[in-house]
Amino acid sequence: MNYWGRRISGALLVLALVLVLNFLLFRLMPGDPVASIVDPRFSPEAKEQLRKMYGLDRPLPVQFALYVKSTLTFDFGISFLTGLPVAQELRSRVPNTVILLGTSLLLSAALGTWLGMKAALRRGSLLERCVLWSGALSFSFPSFFVQLLLLMFFASMIPLFPLRGTLSVPPPAGGPALLFDYLRHMALPVFSLVLLGFGGWAIYVRNLTVKILGEDFILLARARGLPRKNILRGHVFRTMLPPLLTIFLLSLPSVVSGAVITETVFSLHGVGRFLLEAVTGHDYPAAGAAFFLLSLLTVTCNLLSDLLYGITDPRVRLERGNR
Amino acid sequence: MRHLLARWSFWCLLLLVLTALFGGRLFDAPPEREVAAAFSKPLWIERDLPPTKEFRLSADTPSLRFDWRYAPPSRLSLRIDPSVGQTGRFVEWRKPGAPEPLHLAPLRGGFEADGRDIAFKRSLGLPPFGDAAASLFSERGSYELALSGEGGFEGEVVLKLEGGRWGLLGTDQRGRDVAALFVAGVRVSLIVGIFATLLATFLGTSFGLAAGYLGGWIDGLLMRIVDLLLSIPLLPVLMALAALWGKGLWQLVLILSVFSWMGTARTVRALVLTLRDAPYIEGLRGLGAPPGYILRKHLLPETLPVLLATMTLGVPGAILSEAGLSFLGLSDPRVISWGRMLHEAHSFGAFTAGAWWMLLPPGLGIALLCLVFLDLGKFLEERVDPRLRKGVRS
Repeated sequence: MNYWGRRISGALLVLALVLVLNFLLFRLMPGDPVASIVDPRFSPEAKEQLRKMYGLDRPLPVQFALYVKSTLTFDFGISFLTGLPVAQELRSRVPNTVILLGTSLLLSAALGTWLGMKAALRRGSLLERCVLWSGALSFSFPSFFVQLLLLMFFASMIPLFPLRGTLSVPPPAGGPALLFDYLRHMALPVFSLVLLGFGGWAIYVRNLTVKILGEDFILLARARGLPRKNILRGHVFRTMLPPLLTIFLLSLPSVVSGAVITETVFSLHGVGRFLLEAVTGHDYPAAGAAFFLLSLLTVTCNLLSDLLYGITDPRVRLERGNR
Repeated sequence: MRHLLARWSFWCLLLLVLTALFGGRLFDAPPEREVAAAFSKPLWIERDLPPTKEFRLSADTPSLRFDWRYAPPSRLSLRIDPSVGQTGRFVEWRKPGAPEPLHLAPLRGGFEADGRDIAFKRSLGLPPFGDAAASLFSERGSYELALSGEGGFEGEVVLKLEGGRWGLLGTDQRGRDVAALFVAGVRVSLIVGIFATLLATFLGTSFGLAAGYLGGWIDGLLMRIVDLLLSIPLLPVLMALAALWGKGLWQLVLILSVFSWMGTARTVRALVLTLRDAPYIEGLRGLGAPPGYILRKHLLPETLPVLLATMTLGVPGAILSEAGLSFLGLSDPRVISWGRMLHEAHSFGAFTAGAWWMLLPPGLGIALLCLVFLDLGKFLEERVDPRLRKGVRS
């Protein structure tokens, strides 16, 4: 198998294991799932029918097969709490989560890379100290605390931004007004994630740049009299790309985890808060679906950055067997 | 050792541990007791706001004089001990500048009155609206609470005022002392952080040693598991497990450790891989030493210093995970923790009350604890690997 095949099959394997984990996790939840939606006064026949409807009367392997089939076709069943199809509820939430995470990830990566390189070029400057400190702070401050503070200052004390929600209730009419309202609601969550995220990137980029600047080929490039800008862009940044992708890849799971917290703090209409509500409400189909979607998001981005790695660093494609 | 004592984080950790052990003694009441009105402000701000206070008359202090420099308290209540049994005497109230004292209540055992009682207000000749406190504390100056007549008395007369301020850090939405809650929360963060990391280190070391030394399919399998666990979002899994397994402290420790051993396993495995074929290990194998012996007596001690550093650096992760779960409301509501405090601040209207004192202490507490462990971990890392020290550039 070549590099691409190996990567794709690896991602599929992870996805399969996620499915198994998901199935086990939400089947093992305490209490009879039917008990939570059925009035105890229901007749035994009615209960039996409900069990049949959710497929809970079949043996576990059959249940698993059914589960895999329905999950892979994005048919997540019917919510225990609302009685509506889960897929319908999730469809309106996925874009919000993707926009929130995508924007903040891109912004913090860009800001972090820029600041990190600057800090590495000016060792011992105030900027470098700031970068190092911001990194340490982003590792030690709980994300929800920082977000609560932002909420308190910029939504409660100085009401610049709304306290909660993805859109005003009722939403304003008209396209531009709606877009503006949406942006105003998303501004604080995205800003908070960038604030929390760029420090880690900056530190990492700084360390990488410092290391690369000490390499012989940089010395050679300097000796050849290349302009500074060219060295930074063509040599330093290019060398940094593959490891940057790796760190992007490694940070993904925690970024997705952060979605749950961010959406809870800002009461956003997203998958993460949906998961929290489902888990606390013992709504297994909903919780399973949200968990699956979040995992799918992680695995897909994982695969994507893996493939990009293969493009940016051709050496790994020639390697045989496992890394 | 000398270097350790020079680190601020060491002293800070010591202080926090002492707080966790003995901090409860600083407060008269247990932290879950309601002590004052909800959302009372800290004592040291808005000095015009009345504090929450109690005045007691007893055999030793039959009269009390005090200076009142605040706005009227929001509520007031008067209680006379059931053991008091004299007639013909009164509890007197003298306002600043007033010639005659006001008879608050007869000195009768078991008397109880609330500032909002119509009968109580009427007996004082006050308007029937609002709380009696507003008229009784209408001015600022020197007040006197006393008993009319002569002679001693048994029992107690208690005048309780409910103001808008309490303690060092105010109160939360249920009227509990935030300072006491904060001190009680240190314990949870320390316990979860330390024990979850200890357990995770144990798991990671075992798996790392096994994978690195035994190699083959065991190595392949374990490293696949590590890859898998590292590539799924952790928090959703923890949320499901916390909801599924129950929310106790020790369950949380177990859940957290089961999902955070991967980094340690990788580090240990890498270390063992470099050591496995070292001449002295090969020599031991040649002499017939069993793998268990080599692992225990030679490889494990080699990894220990590194382990100590990674373990310390891992504590913040566990603390933050616990705080995150508690913040999401997935922890035991009876266990007071910093994450739980932030959860309550978020969901019970600390914002609308402007109660920043509910937000800052737990949040800064978590951050401080994490910084302490990060700094200690960095210190240990530098001890293990002197190249990382300041001034030495690699």
